[in-house]
Amino acid sequence: MAPINLSHRRTHNLLLISKLLNLRDTASPFTLLLDSLEQPATPLLKEYIRRAKLSKVHVTLISFETLRKPDGVDAFISARRKSPADIMSEVASAHQPAKITGPPQRRLILIDAINPLLSSKKQDPTFQLASFLGSFITPRDPSAPKADASLVVAYHSDTPGPIQTQQTVYKPAHLSILTYLATSIITLHSFSHILAQKAARDRSLAPPVFGLEEEQDGVILGRLDRLSGTGAAEGIVLELEHRRKSGRGVLEWYILPPASRYSAACVKEVVSLLDDNVLYNPPVELDAGAGDEEPTSTFELGLTERQRRDREGVVLPYFDAQYGDGPGEGGRILYDMGEEDDFDEEEDEI
Amino acid sequence: MPSQPPLPPLLAPYLSTQPESSLTLVSSILGATSNWLILRFLHAALSNSSNNAFIGLEDSPDSKKKKVVLVSFLRGWEFWKAEAKRLGLDLTRLAGKQQFAYVDGLSELFTTPKPAGNTLPTLSAGSPAPARTTLPLRYQPGTLPGRSPAQANNPIGQGNASGPINSEPGVAKKLNFAGQGLTALDALERDISTVIAKLKTAEDDEVLLIIDQPDFLLASTGPSYAIGATEMMDWATGLQQAAHATVLTLAADSPLLHNAPVASNQMSTPVESEHAVFAIGLAHRAQSVMQLRTLETGAARDVSGVLRISRGGGWSTGAEENLEEKELLFYIQRDGGVRVFGRGES
Repeated sequence: MAPINLSHRRTHNLLLISKLLNLRDTASPFTLLLDSLEQPATPLLKEYIRRAKLSKVHVTLISFETLRKPDGVDAFISARRKSPADIMSEVASAHQPAKITGPPQRRLILIDAINPLLSSKKQDPTFQLASFLGSFITPRDPSAPKADASLVVAYHSDTPGPIQTQQTVYKPAHLSILTYLATSIITLHSFSHILAQKAARDRSLAPPVFGLEEEQDGVILGRLDRLSGTGAAEGIVLELEHRRKSGRGVLEWYILPPASRYSAACVKEVVSLLDDNVLYNPPVELDAGAGDEEPTSTFELGLTERQRRDREGVVLPYFDAQYGDGPGEGGRILYDMGEEDDFDEEEDEI
Repeated sequence: MPSQPPLPPLLAPYLSTQPESSLTLVSSILGATSNWLILRFLHAALSNSSNNAFIGLEDSPDSKKKKVVLVSFLRGWEFWKAEAKRLGLDLTRLAGKQQFAYVDGLSELFTTPKPAGNTLPTLSAGSPAPARTTLPLRYQPGTLPGRSPAQANNPIGQGNASGPINSEPGVAKKLNFAGQGLTALDALERDISTVIAKLKTAEDDEVLLIIDQPDFLLASTGPSYAIGATEMMDWATGLQQAAHATVLTLAADSPLLHNAPVASNQMSTPVESEHAVFAIGLAHRAQSVMQLRTLETGAARDVSGVLRISRGGGWSTGAEENLEEKELLFYIQRDGGVRVFGRGES
């Protein structure tokens, strides 16, 4: 049962994540990355950029936190102290679709962290997050050639939101709006933490928490290269929630290996299912039946093939009794003489 | 106890090289302050060049000169001068040689500027010299040196090159917070980047900017001045652009981090929530984070605290990802020397 399920998930969900990360068919126009200090989104953003470069997608990075233009980014827009309207117009002008005819060129727009925009003090009360994000995907000018844009937004889920004031107390929280709008939500976890938590759960212990959640004085970050007991577990775990157009949701856990494990030009899919990971799901030992192995003895305790066949051929008395040959007939001993039996006269009559 | 080398060998790789335009965040708590670490940063950046100067290599054209701008919001010039002297750094002399500049964010941050020429008698009553016999912990409230207006009359940015020991040589600039919101922050940013630019005489000078406890600025202004964590982070980013690398310290005591609700509608004060956003946001931007804390198991005679070095959330190039994450113990001796060792070692 379970293996069939797993192989089904393997084919379908691996195809899905590769479609999402490669931005094929605009499977997800708006992807929300929920990261934390324990697992920042930068490795995944780099992976997005790497794949976009391979398929020649135009990459725009709207930077609220990054100082310098990372490799592979075509247009770098620093959003420091800019109003949302300015950012929108800069993004629109950063990329001019080359040909009006031809297939629309694909475009990837990354936002390295949306939190500063949301908690800014000088925020315009008329600012609408939904229309701001929507403007990147669908250009305001309908006559403009349509570019297939995908928006990937990172949100630091461990950062407290702005204080609620009289004006905002009835508005939904920013995170609610973002998760409502997103077509895919990827929550990032550190693989070593997932392993440590699984190890604790397997022993029915409370799973450990890391970093800020420890609520320890002076601890902001708990990430260390080698957590005790997890070995050299590297990589990030992606918890994907994808909403299909039909409305059906897909939930799956993946693992993305660290960038040093594969070459930058690697076209093959590097992401795999978390359940397929050797460290997370150690392979069940093949000789699991070693427990009911026969005890060593000088007697032959097994059955030969013929003996087994004969034994299966025996009709047990209570089956015979059900044929209903009349009362009193049940319970007799049924015996077919084998050729190796010798008839014993003195035995009870059969 | 034997005296320790000024730069603990285990820490040397972390202190001496900062990748370009990187941010190093140093977080401290009340029981484990970051002064000693900042002094080691100063020493790592400045001691080589002062050695060079000693043997006459100062003007060799191909050696990149490391320079430091220290902006301090919580501790006075006297304190830094005295503590650096214990490590063998003469900050006044280095300031005279244009290798170091101190920006005073403490003494006049919120005083209204006095008209020029209104000279006050130069007496520093009420600002005792920092106690040299104790550990470099923070001052008791009320004895903050430099709060007295007596030291207010240093002509800004002048007189340093000329050399004579006047009232406060070495202080390149005193910050003054005036106005509201972004304009006030912009003015501070301009002041600091002017100092950086002035120090940067050659094109390949590497200026390390150390900002000590800017969270004080955030806590003392806050929403009523239209300054929040985002504005402060933008301010820090602006300064980062001016310098080669930035080291920033702030407090990470649990009330300042954990009282702000992430999701629920539980109430929190502006200081709590803004500080948490500021600290966590900076950790997301930083390339490396050094966290100081006390031992969880209580005080010990031969351990002052724990130093955890981890990678931050910021973008980094491949080389920076090689930063090894570590957790070390440190012990501050009576003479101010610091011993750094791994767990289980001594």
